[in-house]
Amino acid sequence: MNLAADLATVRVLIRRASNELLRVPGAAIPGVLAPTIFFLGLSSVFGGLTELTGFDTDSYQSFILPVSLLQGAGFTGAATGVNLARDIEQGWFDRLLASPAPRPALLAGMVLSASLRSLIPAVVLLAVGFAVGVDWPGFGGLVLAVFCVMATGTIAACWGVTLALHYKTQSAAPLMQAGMFVLVLFTTAYAPIELLQGWLAEIARINPLTQVVDAARLGFTGQPITWADTWPALAALAGLLAVLSWFALREMRRTSL
Amino acid sequence: MPAIEVSALEREFPGGIRAVDGVDLEVADGEIYAFLGPNGAGKTTTVRMLTTLLRPTGGHARVAGHDVVDDAADVRRAIGVALQEAALDPLMTGRELIRLQATLHGLIGGEAERRGDALIRRVGLERAADRRVGTYSGGMRRRLDLASALVHEPKVLFLDEPTTGLDPVSRKAIWEEVAALNREGTTVFLTTQYLEEADQLADRVGIISGGKIVGEGTPASLKAEVGKPHLEIGLAEGSAELAEGICCDFGRILPEKDGRLLVELEHGASDVAKVVRSLDEGGILVESLELVEPTLDDVFVDKTGEHLEGADTAEPAEA
Amino acid sequence: MNALAVNARVVAALGARSVKQTFRRPQLVAPIVIFPTLLLAVQTGGAGRAVDLPGFPEVDNFLSFMLAGAMLQSCLLAGNTGGIALAVDLEIGFTDRLLAAPISRFSIVLGRLVGTAALGALTALWFIAIGLIFGASFELGVPGVLLMIVLTSLAAVAFGGLSAAIALYTGQASIVQGLFPLIFVILFLSSAFFPINLLLEPAASVAEYNPLSFIVEGIREPVIGSLSAETVAEAFGAIALLMAISTGLSAIALRRRLRVG
Repeated sequence: MNLAADLATVRVLIRRASNELLRVPGAAIPGVLAPTIFFLGLSSVFGGLTELTGFDTDSYQSFILPVSLLQGAGFTGAATGVNLARDIEQGWFDRLLASPAPRPALLAGMVLSASLRSLIPAVVLLAVGFAVGVDWPGFGGLVLAVFCVMATGTIAACWGVTLALHYKTQSAAPLMQAGMFVLVLFTTAYAPIELLQGWLAEIARINPLTQVVDAARLGFTGQPITWADTWPALAALAGLLAVLSWFALREMRRTSL
Repeated sequence: MPAIEVSALEREFPGGIRAVDGVDLEVADGEIYAFLGPNGAGKTTTVRMLTTLLRPTGGHARVAGHDVVDDAADVRRAIGVALQEAALDPLMTGRELIRLQATLHGLIGGEAERRGDALIRRVGLERAADRRVGTYSGGMRRRLDLASALVHEPKVLFLDEPTTGLDPVSRKAIWEEVAALNREGTTVFLTTQYLEEADQLADRVGIISGGKIVGEGTPASLKAEVGKPHLEIGLAEGSAELAEGICCDFGRILPEKDGRLLVELEHGASDVAKVVRSLDEGGILVESLELVEPTLDDVFVDKTGEHLEGADTAEPAEA
Repeated sequence: MNALAVNARVVAALGARSVKQTFRRPQLVAPIVIFPTLLLAVQTGGAGRAVDLPGFPEVDNFLSFMLAGAMLQSCLLAGNTGGIALAVDLEIGFTDRLLAAPISRFSIVLGRLVGTAALGALTALWFIAIGLIFGASFELGVPGVLLMIVLTSLAAVAFGGLSAAIALYTGQASIVQGLFPLIFVILFLSSAFFPINLLLEPAASVAEYNPLSFIVEGIREPVIGSLSAETVAEAFGAIALLMAISTGLSAIALRRRLRVG
């Protein structure tokens, strides 16, 4: 395996994905709009919840902004899947498969571009969030949150790519989006775990993304960034990435047969 | 009463584009009339006006005795329409679509079912009738479209490019069906970009280009306007002069082509046998013989200066 | 042949087609029902303790409060789906088939709206079932449930009319599809998901005047048991207002389309 060639492949694919974004900027709007609407909507609708004991902060915006950031990453990853489905439908993907580029390099190119692109909704959300009074998370908190966002974007892209390769049609898009949507929301998204109803608390305990939500949230709710609070998130992200990239590679190998 | 009467029909679109620029025509009851022209000539726009889907911006049109603007509902009752896009819902089954069309024309219950099933049988879709239209081939969709246009036994049938994109077998099937309908008394107005379709099906052809009619008549009379058929004769070495002498009785000698003798047939293709006999009696050995008739494409070139697009995709006319 | 009878049959046939179409495109059903159900679940589970907040209306549980919001969301999405289907019909030329037939122009839109009403009623039944299964209270029993179904169907039609107007004006399904986020915006700016007295700005101010707030209260009160004639009147009034606007816009858009062809 020629490492230089593989890296070049990865770079080219990332560049193509970015081109797409620059040439069809409208395509990015849904991925940015949906989490922003949700953020603003949820914070003004459910803002009163912070009166309940158990919330570390008065500012519901600060509490849910990390969730919105992760939602943005989820949508971006799903969009990668939709774009791939479109490429498959139009036959462009066959060209890639017929090239000697190794499958892991192809996958890496596609999903790494997603991790970069998930910064777009993140930037918009942060700007909007700070504008409506979200507390500054501190440099460490911000870095941690951004890391979680990029990792989640990559994971979401693996999910989207898996579905795209399996169903080979753009109409699988709702499934891609719904999957990530559910994963992000069925966590401590709306409230800390002690305040969740029994059944949701159980799900949140099992859901690996709960750790990620909690870690991304640390800075925004004024908590110190400790290793004890951070490593479960890193483990969760690593685990999800391993599992989902395995599925994605498997689908890719199946497709080329 | 003519089935279709059009005078000074015009359609101008925002931006000043005149898709139809003063069209006059008359289609007799029981006739098949073909509008022949390339894409963008105004065929579809004319059909849309005649089927009340589009308002003219000038001129008048009457279909089955009713004005297309003032008596639109009466026009709709009398016409059957099969448009270019075979406007079918891919999620419906063939049977459901025909039933819906029947309901749209006021047929109810048992009668709607009977007519629908009869038409499905007529166009050969019984086995596919309960499958979704999305699974049909192009030819099947056109047949279903045609069947649905006939549900209420219209007096005038409008077909917009009925065989575009179909394979030769499907095309022939549609032609046979249209001819059969016409024998039963239905007037047919069709548009096409295929000269063979106009040639085979139409009683009269209107050549349309740039929104205007530039020539009209039966296929034979249009071709005769433009020229007569000629024979291309391949002869043995040395017999050219003698052959010319014999052939010039039948018509003008045209400039030779690839060593072949070209003679225009003054009295048409029926003289071919006489030419052959005369050459034979004169002891001339004929190596090859080809009859070349003027085509509607030649007519088109004559009238508009350009070739018709469908000319090279259609099958060559049989001699 | 009685023209009215023919048109009535046509409206029924087109309505039946609308409903069948939606179920034959599973990826359309999901957003209408599944997504609001998921949202209902996670919001009930996540924000359920809100019932402990001072100022929260008297309810047995948060689900009883939230059910109406989910129903309204679902029926608005159903309404928009009708508009998308109309735009698809325009794109594939199916509408030409209808326009070339001897039926009244308006029965084409009416047929679609009848289908939307049916779909709205179906979504209402779905959520009522969910409510019954998961313990919502339905204080006002069967008459209350009937009122909920009526309000939901009518709200679907009112919104469907707006969606149809946009479909007729643009002729593009993708544009009508893009209205989905807008639905969420206007729902968030109402009392669909949280009591109006506990909302923060800007939702609080907008919700006071948002017709959707009045409609959702009409759907909610039969469940939590405080139904008043005033609420019912306001709910129907808000629906009437939306219907008037959407009918007007649809008629204008339809006329324009017929003219420009």
